[in-house]
Amino acid sequence: MEQIFFYIFAVIAVVAAVSVVVSRNPVHSALFLIVCLLQVAAIFVLLRAPFLAATQVFVYVGAVMVLFLFTVLVLDIGRETVVEYMHSHAFAAVGAVVALFVVLAYIASRGTITVPQGGFSEEVLAKNVEVVGRALFTKYIFPFEVVSFLLLIALVGAIVLVMNEKGSKS
Amino acid sequence: MNCSCGVGKRIKDFVKSALFLDFIKGMHVTLGYLFSKSITIRYPDEEKWIPYQRFRGRHTLNMTSEGKELCVACELCSKACPTDCITVIPMEDDTGIGITDRVAKVWKVDLVRCLFCGYCEDACPTRAVRLSREYELSTTDISRTKFEKRELLLPESVPEQVHGGGIAKAKFVRSKDGIKIVANLGKMKKMRW
Amino acid sequence: MIDLALIITIIIMVVKVGLLTMILFSLPMPLTWIERKVAGHIHARLGPFRVGPHGIMQPMADTVKLLFKEDIVPEKADKLIFKLAPLIAMIPAFAVFVAIPVGGTWTVPFIDQEMNLYVTDMNVGLLYILAMGGLGIYGIIFGGWASNSKYALLGGMRSAAQMISYEVALSFAAVGVVMMSNSLSLVDIVNTQGGGFWNWNFFYLPVGPVWFFIFIIAGSAEINRIPFDLAEDEGTLAAGFHTEYSGMKFSFFMLAEYIALVTVSVLAVVLFFGGWNPPIDYTIPFVPIAFIWLFWFVIKVSVFIYMFMWVRFTLPRYRYDQLMNIGWKILIPISLVNILITGFMRI
Repeated sequence: MEQIFFYIFAVIAVVAAVSVVVSRNPVHSALFLIVCLLQVAAIFVLLRAPFLAATQVFVYVGAVMVLFLFTVLVLDIGRETVVEYMHSHAFAAVGAVVALFVVLAYIASRGTITVPQGGFSEEVLAKNVEVVGRALFTKYIFPFEVVSFLLLIALVGAIVLVMNEKGSKS
Repeated sequence: MNCSCGVGKRIKDFVKSALFLDFIKGMHVTLGYLFSKSITIRYPDEEKWIPYQRFRGRHTLNMTSEGKELCVACELCSKACPTDCITVIPMEDDTGIGITDRVAKVWKVDLVRCLFCGYCEDACPTRAVRLSREYELSTTDISRTKFEKRELLLPESVPEQVHGGGIAKAKFVRSKDGIKIVANLGKMKKMRW
Repeated sequence: MIDLALIITIIIMVVKVGLLTMILFSLPMPLTWIERKVAGHIHARLGPFRVGPHGIMQPMADTVKLLFKEDIVPEKADKLIFKLAPLIAMIPAFAVFVAIPVGGTWTVPFIDQEMNLYVTDMNVGLLYILAMGGLGIYGIIFGGWASNSKYALLGGMRSAAQMISYEVALSFAAVGVVMMSNSLSLVDIVNTQGGGFWNWNFFYLPVGPVWFFIFIIAGSAEINRIPFDLAEDEGTLAAGFHTEYSGMKFSFFMLAEYIALVTVSVLAVVLFFGGWNPPIDYTIPFVPIAFIWLFWFVIKVSVFIYMFMWVRFTLPRYRYDQLMNIGWKILIPISLVNILITGFMRI
């Protein structure tokens, strides 16, 4: 049962992901990206990670993609620009993608999966949020804080950029 | 901010906005209106509006109580009319019905041109022409915008004796021309607008 | 082997979802009538009055009119997305309700079976609702963009910016509720508020009312209600994002809008006013507890829906920069301070 659903979601996700790249219209690309992210969220649900799924939808689909779309609409990227852009960087992009896949394949072939699968009891799964929260704030507190600090820097940076622009005008 | 507003005013403004005082005031106003009486006139099938006597609607030609036409076809109304919408053609009258021997053969008004200024009323020496309280003049037939003497002599739907304006209940009247909705003058509520 | 218990569970689930969908589909009809009546009386008018007694059949007449109206797709529109947008707007509005509990677990008399008066009790219910609610914006953005009309596009962009700004405040309000109730599950949130009105999150002094006002302001901005309905600002944008829509597609947008109104009202009740809990616990002999729950739930939600309508016909619309100021410079700082206070209170 779960496997059938997994294949449905996975196929749609892959098709949508390819369509993001293939479609000429940036707004269509955005729509396909939304579909793709939603499918990934659905797969998270199948993996018994509802918190991650909800967060994925909430943050990526609900907020980040809206910002993407907003930018696309504001900039009004015409088809020509996209085509031109794709042409001038096509070789570099293809090279980067191939390199990425090679690295991924290498890692996948070398590494072994060390995390025991299905190691969580039903009780733990029911308290999904608590488990994630506890892990984030105890075991992974240092990376968590580093990430939040980086985000803070980005935030301050964005504000500083806007402030400078205003100052130069007046 | 002006220099005139001190710290006290700023604190007052802050408290005001923090407690949503202006918002509550506004909500209170609309709540009052919510329970106030509606001013809608459910024209035409429930209620009908009766205008004041001073209202200037379609023209009427008056008659004396004995049924004689007051109009003496002096054509002053036609002369006074700024839009030339009144046509009067006089004729000698030997039937003795008229007050004098001069009556209107044709007294025609074109309401498409008329601007309801009331000059004809003022000009009339015998008070024959009056702008009545007839206001339902809309039509889909252009020929219904021209009124002949015969129609203008018919009694008004709201007689002159009814004083003041108001809202009357509507009444359905079936006749051979179809169903008409007329004001039930017996059930009239006087209004002071 | 066919598992009988599983099949029964699935059947119950399908029945529940079907019932919910039916209620939600029919709900906007009375709501439009009520909204127009409230508008009328606040304006000292009567509102709809001609179709049926007190105009109660007006929504039916409107529906028939919308069904038979010509369905126009602009020539220069992006046809696919133009047709898809109303559905994109509508589906999340319905999906939200899967997680909303209208009552607790009720033991059905005579057959002694336990029945849940909700479809599912997700352990991430609140997050799910916020996530789904956030998806509703895509109907507006895509509808606005695909129409290929400047009014529609501006409406869509305005609402995108507005959503982004107010979703932050809304999420903070949700965080506040989670801190007060110690759970993300809506059933748990309601259960912690049981026992009397002094246990409701709204009366969790001093932070409860503040959270509530943040929630209700951000919520009304999320569902594009006056005073934050800049997406369909008649004065400057014709009809905003649905300028080019007609017929059933337009009615889908309206449907989504009314369901969003119900959603925010329901959430306000569930998160701050004790959900289905009566103000003071009581039981009436021979009356199942579920009826009492449903009664109080419907009453509270109705009050909130009425409040939204009342506000709509009282306040003028905010200007765009005022909207952004309220979102970023007032609501979010207050939320941050409030989180701190709530945190100290929960220690």
